[in-house]
Amino acid sequence: MNINRRRGAIALSITLGVLIVGGLMAYNIAWIILYKGRIAAVILGLIVFSLLVAGVILNTVFLVREVRRNERQDSFLNAVTHELKTPIASIRLYLETLQRRDLPDAQRAEFYQIMLADSDRLLATVEQVLKAGEIGARRPHDRILIELAPLVSECIAITLLRHHLPPESIHLEPIPGNVRLHVRAVSEDLRTAVLNLLDNAVKYSPNGVHVRCTLSIYRYTNVALAITDTGVGIAPNQLKRIFKRFYRVPGRNAVRIKGTGLGLFLVRAIARQHGGSISASSPGPNQGATITITLPLADPAAH
Amino acid sequence: MSDSPLIALIEDEEHLAQGLLFNLAAEGYRTHHESDGDAALAYLLAPPEPIAAIVLDCMLPGADGFTIARTLRDAQCFTPILMLTARARPQDILDGLEAGADDYLPKPFNLNILLVRIKSLLRRTAWQSTQSSLSSRTLSDPDHVEGESKGEGSASAFPTSPADIYAFNNRTIRFDALELIAPHRTTRLTVMEADLLRYFTDRAGQIVSRKQILEDVWRVREDTDTRAIDNFIVRLRRYIEDDPANPTHLTTVRGIGYRFLPNPQ
Repeated sequence: MNINRRRGAIALSITLGVLIVGGLMAYNIAWIILYKGRIAAVILGLIVFSLLVAGVILNTVFLVREVRRNERQDSFLNAVTHELKTPIASIRLYLETLQRRDLPDAQRAEFYQIMLADSDRLLATVEQVLKAGEIGARRPHDRILIELAPLVSECIAITLLRHHLPPESIHLEPIPGNVRLHVRAVSEDLRTAVLNLLDNAVKYSPNGVHVRCTLSIYRYTNVALAITDTGVGIAPNQLKRIFKRFYRVPGRNAVRIKGTGLGLFLVRAIARQHGGSISASSPGPNQGATITITLPLADPAAH
Repeated sequence: MSDSPLIALIEDEEHLAQGLLFNLAAEGYRTHHESDGDAALAYLLAPPEPIAAIVLDCMLPGADGFTIARTLRDAQCFTPILMLTARARPQDILDGLEAGADDYLPKPFNLNILLVRIKSLLRRTAWQSTQSSLSSRTLSDPDHVEGESKGEGSASAFPTSPADIYAFNNRTIRFDALELIAPHRTTRLTVMEADLLRYFTDRAGQIVSRKQILEDVWRVREDTDTRAIDNFIVRLRRYIEDDPANPTHLTTVRGIGYRFLPNPQ
């Protein structure tokens, strides 16, 4: 409903812009014909005409951009509702249960534990949402030169710690040719992206974590970070959708795994912000998946 | 009647489900829980024993809540459904009711209200289930109900108060039994359909607006799109009109709403 209305607004502003430009053109042609002999008048007319056209075009571009931004904001709000309301509904349900009934201590303790877990989930969602908001506000000059291998190693260490995993479960392969690969990026964002990818690889490997990370040069001027797991995999028709904001793969395996549906969206947003891209591949369900993020290589000597 | 009513809970959020099951059990209900939409549908379409009410979440893995409600109603299963919706936009609520839900609660819900609503759904269907068991029909035997062409016999067998019965145009609505008895077939009504019919019959001859219906029957405050009722009306017309395409009893008043006429000239 809202989206249709926004599309309408965009179409209207573009149509209006085109009509005004058309009108101005007709007016300008009439002006030239009318003042054919007088060079000064024609030149004046041309200058005024170009100014007006430039103004209209600029106005239209800004309008369309603003409407698009509004549209994104709207879908974001809609989608975040579910992830915020579910833990609140749960906490509230348990509080009301405690209020309504006399319960043995063991039962109360269990309910407190559940409420704590829900408040953690709520906090994680809130933090991810805030992060998603921050990314849009980044400026190119926040970017610094970062060597990828140490950053990935660090993220692997954090992930191992977070999920209480043995060191061999996530492995970073040596870079072919032993080159140092640098990118120009906002360090915190890049870390968020890599951590999210690793987190996913671990989360979606319910039967043992075997994650492999590879760094390589891709099409001469890019670096590719591929993270491969042996988990639940991705069905072919889901490969594109998983990057959509709040999208979660439907199905038996995926549903047991908690998530906001923001993770991969965030990673894609970060990759695009840095002039890169992201893609997913999987041999099929239960055969693992590979998420590859590519970023433009940076030259450490250039700075 | 010796057993306590069985409530089916379809909810994929583990914590919510656990808390709800605990409370339903504490209230003395028996419960059955499904967390996957497809599995839930399989269970609900062929339950091993009659289900008294369904508490249904909208967003589920597999078939979603709307699909489940619609499929059950299409399969002539009229077990009352209370829908839980996370997105409390009026459109979602209307979608749920349109799909065949009898009541809804937005998340986060109030526990006391939820329990009261379940109780009221069960009360609405309590009379009907006793009658079902007496006439050796079960809730899980939809074909039997649909195939029963002579409904008059069973209708007169039980004494009821006049307010629970409404007769017009060879048809009898039994609000207590949630049944609509027509010359050639008996239709089971959902609680929501019965409520809407009751709303119309109570206001026979009056014009009622869509907005009024939304607020009074569905308790939805919605200013923009009130067309959602129209699908419901189409369904009711299939039950009560001789020619649903050219309605004479439940007529559209252009630009305003609907009017129910028990005896059109």
